[in-house]
Amino acid sequence: MTARSEGAATGAAAPGAIVAAADGATAGDWRDAVRAAASALVAAGAAGEGYPEACVRVVEENGPYIVLTKGLALVHARPEEGGLAVGVGVTRLAAPVEFGHPDNDPVDLLLAFCTPDPDAHVGTLSGLARALSGGLADRLRAASGEDDLARILKEALPNA
Amino acid sequence: MALDRQLEILAVCGVGMGSSLMLKMTAEDALRSLGVDARVENTDVSTARGMSPDVVIGQGMHTGEIADLAPVVITISDFLDKEGLEAQLRERLTEQGWLS
Repeated sequence: MTARSEGAATGAAAPGAIVAAADGATAGDWRDAVRAAASALVAAGAAGEGYPEACVRVVEENGPYIVLTKGLALVHARPEEGGLAVGVGVTRLAAPVEFGHPDNDPVDLLLAFCTPDPDAHVGTLSGLARALSGGLADRLRAASGEDDLARILKEALPNA
Repeated sequence: MALDRQLEILAVCGVGMGSSLMLKMTAEDALRSLGVDARVENTDVSTARGMSPDVVIGQGMHTGEIADLAPVVITISDFLDKEGLEAQLRERLTEQGWLS
């Protein structure tokens, strides 16, 4: 689980979860945005090459339910679609996109996660839920850049 | 409370392991505030069809498909809105006589 990517994503190896961040991502539509968010996990070594498209299919098949709350989407797919480790990524878009969600559009912030099996991520994601209830999204929106995004996300997660 | 057992509550989403897990956490917080003894599980909509919980919670795009699954179906739009979910749970559980 050593992953350190160059360019658009910063990855950090950790005993619990790999954390990735991408700032100022440009996306023409929600598919691009989902791909960008999931690609940060691929770049960090937490997910395989096919994961971004699998994440797009989740929304195509199930609707834009991954837009959990105003402006925030939780990008993910099933473990067998390419989850190599528990990974959590944050992507901040240069300009928000519409997912077609009845209440929570437009989306400017995407969290993405992947997991190697159906249980490995539960602790990490529970921590993420707790952090989101405690204002994590606002702290991420106020981040000064990519490194700051990664730092804030990492601080919010147990074992990351 | 009027029910002499734990309430069985199901949080649903499309994949059943991410968004619904977030919703489960929110629901557990809301139920704790209400003082309701409940067990909350999370799963995907297809798996949910084979289950028979007391309460189902999910987004409208999913609860529409499983409206006959449980006596109480709660539709939410914000997975993290604990106060909103707590208000809906209070009203709907009281209707059922499960919360006084």
